[in-house]
Amino acid sequence: MAGDRLTNTASTPAEARIDAYLGELTHLLRGPRRRRAQILAELRDGLDHTIAERSRHGSTEDEAVNSAISHFGTPQAVAGAFGDELATAYARHTIAWYIATGPLIGVWWLLLLQPQPWRTGPLALLVAIPVLPLIAIAIATAAGTFAATGRLIRWLPEASPHRALTATIAIATLTLISDVTVVGLYLSSTAVRPLAILAISASLTRIAGSLVTLRHATLMRHTIRPRTPEPADARRHHARR
Amino acid sequence: MLPMRPELLKGHLDALLLAVLEPGPQHGYAVIEALRTSSDGALDLPTGTVYPALHRMERAGLIASDWQTVNGRRRRTYHLTPSGHAALTEQRAVWDQFSTAVTTILGRRAWPATV
Repeated sequence: MAGDRLTNTASTPAEARIDAYLGELTHLLRGPRRRRAQILAELRDGLDHTIAERSRHGSTEDEAVNSAISHFGTPQAVAGAFGDELATAYARHTIAWYIATGPLIGVWWLLLLQPQPWRTGPLALLVAIPVLPLIAIAIATAAGTFAATGRLIRWLPEASPHRALTATIAIATLTLISDVTVVGLYLSSTAVRPLAILAISASLTRIAGSLVTLRHATLMRHTIRPRTPEPADARRHHARR
Repeated sequence: MLPMRPELLKGHLDALLLAVLEPGPQHGYAVIEALRTSSDGALDLPTGTVYPALHRMERAGLIASDWQTVNGRRRRTYHLTPSGHAALTEQRAVWDQFSTAVTTILGRRAWPATV
């Protein structure tokens, strides 16, 4: 996305100042890379447009740049304003990753630990894969958070960014415990089969992903202020909308 | 006219943005300008209020965006979705009822008779 680059070669002092402003903002924004790049491209276009407008109304280039930057706000203020949306985007992006990888990794462990669950029944399946309740909680949390941060917010109460990040941390923790448990159980009970190498590698990769997620989501949650809970009446009104 | 504080618009910003986008697609800064000019300067909202609100409304499916290249720069333009049109109609009705009630109380006018 060439247009999303921040540090275009500045040909004028005005462009250099805009680059410096957006460069500072780049270091302050936290969230999915693509979303940050889109925000920066959008702001650059807005700044260019504002400077052109101010110049048309008789401002010097220097005055136009000062006025545009002043109207947009300090990089700290702008980064803070986008914090909630970026946190929600991060939570949805991460939860989508767990939803996509869950069945891909889970199927290998099912084949290894209980290849014919329909013959043995649910109890035997639970004994063979004791983390199933944790996985069920993670799936329910993922589905609920995804619904309460996407298009359904027109009808459902919207999950705050703080709550979406908390859910992300919970999902990462449950997945981490599940992966560590199934790998540990398998390695302690039987000799490693060729199929297991694939399942263990996939789980180890996801364990690493979950650790990174825990770190990022926890750091991001510290920068997001929890919203004041809405009165019950307001929540009912939103739910009806 | 005195500019209004963004927090005064809480609960009504989505409706205002939907109304600004109703005539046709606009980019983010044009939305800010349209709010300012059509309110005679009263709604001079900061970038940090309008852009994140547009992103949230896109997440909710009320608006959608397209990227175009203008003079070598990428520009994002927003337009209403069918859900956005429906939400605007609904929020106009809600606003009519709300503003009538507030005007009645603040202006100490009689509540309009219902037929």
